[in-house]
Amino acid sequence: MATQLRLSVNGTRQTVNVDPDTPLLFVLRNELKLTGPKMGCGMAQCGACAVLLDGKEIRTCITPVSGVEGKQITTIEGLPALWAQEKGLSAAAGQGTLHPVQQAWIDEQVPQCGYCQSGMMMVAVQLLSKNPNPSVDQIKDAFTNAPPSPHLCRCGTYSAIIDAVQRAAQAMRGGAL
Amino acid sequence: MTYKIERRGTPAFSAKISRRGFVKTGGALFVSLALPLRLATRALVAENSNSIDPTLPESWLEIHSDNTIVARTGRTETGVGITGYYPQTIAEELNVRPEAITLIMGDTDRTPDGGYSAGFLNGMTNVRKVAAYTYQALVGLAATHMGVPVSSLSVTDGVVTGGGKKITYGELVQGQHLELKIPMKGALPRPDPTGEVGMTSMDGLTVTGDPPMKAPKDFKVIGTSFPAGHIPDKVTGKTKWSCDVTLPGMLHARMVRPATMGSTLVSVGTFDKKQFPTAEVVRKENLLAVVSPNEWEVVQAAQSVGDSTKWTEWAGLPGSENVTKAIRAHKWVKASESKGKAGETKSALESAAKKISATYEQGYVRHAPIGPFVAVADVNSDGNVMVWTHSAQSQGLRARIAYVLSVPVEKVVVRWMDHAGQYGRTTFGGDGAEADAAILSKLTGKPVRVQWTLPEDLAWSSVSPAWVSDMTASVDRNGQIVAMHSAHYAPHMEDPRPLGALLAGMPSATSKPDAWVATEWPYDKIVNRLEEAYGMPNLAGDSAYGGLRGNIMRTPGQRQQNFALEGFINEAAATAGADPIEYRLAHTTNERLINLLRATAEAANWESRPSPHHSARRSGSTAVTGRGACIMIRSNAYWVGIAEVSLVPNTGSLKVTNFTIGCEPGKIINPRQLDRCMKSGVVMGLSEALKEEVTFDNSKVTSTDWSRYKILTMSEIPQIKVVQLSRDDKGFGGGSEAANALVPPAVAAALFDATGVRARRIPLTPKYVNSLLKA
Repeated sequence: MATQLRLSVNGTRQTVNVDPDTPLLFVLRNELKLTGPKMGCGMAQCGACAVLLDGKEIRTCITPVSGVEGKQITTIEGLPALWAQEKGLSAAAGQGTLHPVQQAWIDEQVPQCGYCQSGMMMVAVQLLSKNPNPSVDQIKDAFTNAPPSPHLCRCGTYSAIIDAVQRAAQAMRGGAL
Repeated sequence: MTYKIERRGTPAFSAKISRRGFVKTGGALFVSLALPLRLATRALVAENSNSIDPTLPESWLEIHSDNTIVARTGRTETGVGITGYYPQTIAEELNVRPEAITLIMGDTDRTPDGGYSAGFLNGMTNVRKVAAYTYQALVGLAATHMGVPVSSLSVTDGVVTGGGKKITYGELVQGQHLELKIPMKGALPRPDPTGEVGMTSMDGLTVTGDPPMKAPKDFKVIGTSFPAGHIPDKVTGKTKWSCDVTLPGMLHARMVRPATMGSTLVSVGTFDKKQFPTAEVVRKENLLAVVSPNEWEVVQAAQSVGDSTKWTEWAGLPGSENVTKAIRAHKWVKASESKGKAGETKSALESAAKKISATYEQGYVRHAPIGPFVAVADVNSDGNVMVWTHSAQSQGLRARIAYVLSVPVEKVVVRWMDHAGQYGRTTFGGDGAEADAAILSKLTGKPVRVQWTLPEDLAWSSVSPAWVSDMTASVDRNGQIVAMHSAHYAPHMEDPRPLGALLAGMPSATSKPDAWVATEWPYDKIVNRLEEAYGMPNLAGDSAYGGLRGNIMRTPGQRQQNFALEGFINEAAATAGADPIEYRLAHTTNERLINLLRATAEAANWESRPSPHHSARRSGSTAVTGRGACIMIRSNAYWVGIAEVSLVPNTGSLKVTNFTIGCEPGKIINPRQLDRCMKSGVVMGLSEALKEEVTFDNSKVTSTDWSRYKILTMSEIPQIKVVQLSRDDKGFGGGSEAANALVPPAVAAALFDATGVRARRIPLTPKYVNSLLKA
């Protein structure tokens, strides 16, 4: 039965009226029109639907919306605002900027089809928040071995992702590229 | 005005520019297609009323008074960077910045040419010629406007300079409505059950004539790493994907598929209407779906219906472990295609002093997109059909949907949007959720969005067929190959029938199950060679829905044939006690291949010696290493792959540590995009070499999630080194596709180098490698 739930998505309070068991993915995409997260396997095996929940990656295809009330949800649409907040930029200044991970994804021309990349960027943001200078092995580990499953890319962009994570790391550390 | 250039007295090309009128604000030059007279009839225009009218402006290119340019193509971004190198190519011939160009792709009512997106060379030649014609028209306009002869004009970034004057393209068209017509041939596809893949043509329209085009030495934009235009919106979430389409009154649908690949419906299951009040069951014959305006409701109700629906039993598949046996059991008659010298090869083999032979096997693999297929269709009561989807062959899909619904093709519009990469699955315009969506929309009278699930996609989509290759060669006393016979046997690989139509018992068209020789022969010193390709129907092809519907997939046919050919060349090299790269060099005089082999071997620090390595062993708990090589020629591009592997024999777990890939595709258009395609192609090739196989029992596919259809993960990628050779004198070659096919033969050769064990089947799973090591 539909219930009113309060969500905090990309820094904005949202009220939705849905069955509390609805997967968060459907709520983000169909109710809030945040279409960055993608429907992949539907069983937490691929990572296409990943978002950050209080800074940690979750798979929205298996997460009931009722479980995320009161927590901060971040999708790729919210990464610029997240970065602006971290850097203490004004809302106006934040609007024109991209998260360094997004910028690195553009600079390294990472996406081929791009379908998995929203989820991939979530892993990158989480990894760089804990480890500002990850090695190649640490990057591979983060994208492969963190539960519940590896993040899969069928186009095979893995080496570009590694390059982009290292580029973003450098930018976030304030280093020249 | 009429604009015409004649070169050396011969009308090498002709394009007419005319002024349709003056406009108060803005102004533009519209470039459209001049059809051959017999095609440019009212009938054709009427037939294609829902596609862009090729006799009217705005079809290919628009030059606007603000110096912006709109270019249109029916080809689409499949992830290989078309949104980078199409603007580059157009910009090069127009002498503008590629940033000035906006690309409109794939919509059947808004783009002119059709064709399939894998047809990069053909599609790019089209836009290049269009730009070249337009450039000639623009400088002609400028010459008239400036009173300066064409020969003294030059153009940089859209600014025409000459005789001390300058004018921009935008200023040239300011206040005018100009039209340029260019010649073309061909036609957009229509349904044709007797046609090659169920339609009249695959290629769409082709621009003809021979407009002056730049020599590669003069290129300024081609050869640079212009970024792909689709990327920024994808990393910010702005891209509207085909899965993002919503329409007023739209129903979400989930399909309920048969219990087996051949089951028919006995009784439709139920769901709790109180719990899911907006859900409805929709059925046509064996096509069963649940629809609702609410996606979550439809997911749950479809689960309930699926659990309680009864289907007949069926068991007509051979089981994936018996694939080779099933292919062998087919009553083979004659090859679909042969190349080479049959008589000379057979007699050379019969009289050979020494003969070697081997059989290579490959299982079924599939495209396996990360996003299961999705489509939205809106079939109006007047019979007009709109489809939003992500086909790589929009015009072909349009024809196919028209055939399924038995409506004239002009009633159908297909809009293309991005979706997960699919690697050739929709090249024939089939095998998606479009037919499901169109049939359900027709039945419900509402727009319907059909989202396939991963298990459904991995069980019911078309597959890249299994393969058996028998290789025989004779060698002289120096080990040099004198004659070679390749015979390749495979189920159907061009069956684009949409699943929805098959289940619903509606019309769908396929092609004959013919195979073809995909190999471009690299060994010109092997004069006596015979290559044969034998095709057979789909496995379980006579069952209700066509069994395992075979389809093309990245580097189709040649990927499979190259595994056999290059594996066999490696065997012959080992028999001769020769270094595998030296052995290849000894069998070809092709300068491009020789250059690339040497460059790639050097980049990989290749040590010249025979395989296996002197310390190769097949047991032990410490690691052994090895390296292997292979080559390929495809679409005017030359390829070399060198794999280095490490494995602990007692575990059978093979790790590819390094892969060096070399490519010489003539003139490289965009080194960065090529680099991406080479590296990612290696990743897909490794996935195919090490992990991928569609498994099935006697009744259904069993590899229906990512734990059972395994693909490569990031931790498994090797260090990948890329070698690119670009040259100005060989035209353009296809660089975006073939890299995957270079991996399996090289990895199998490296395994042999490390262990002395020859793998003649992929995937090289630990279980299979173990069985080889222990044999």
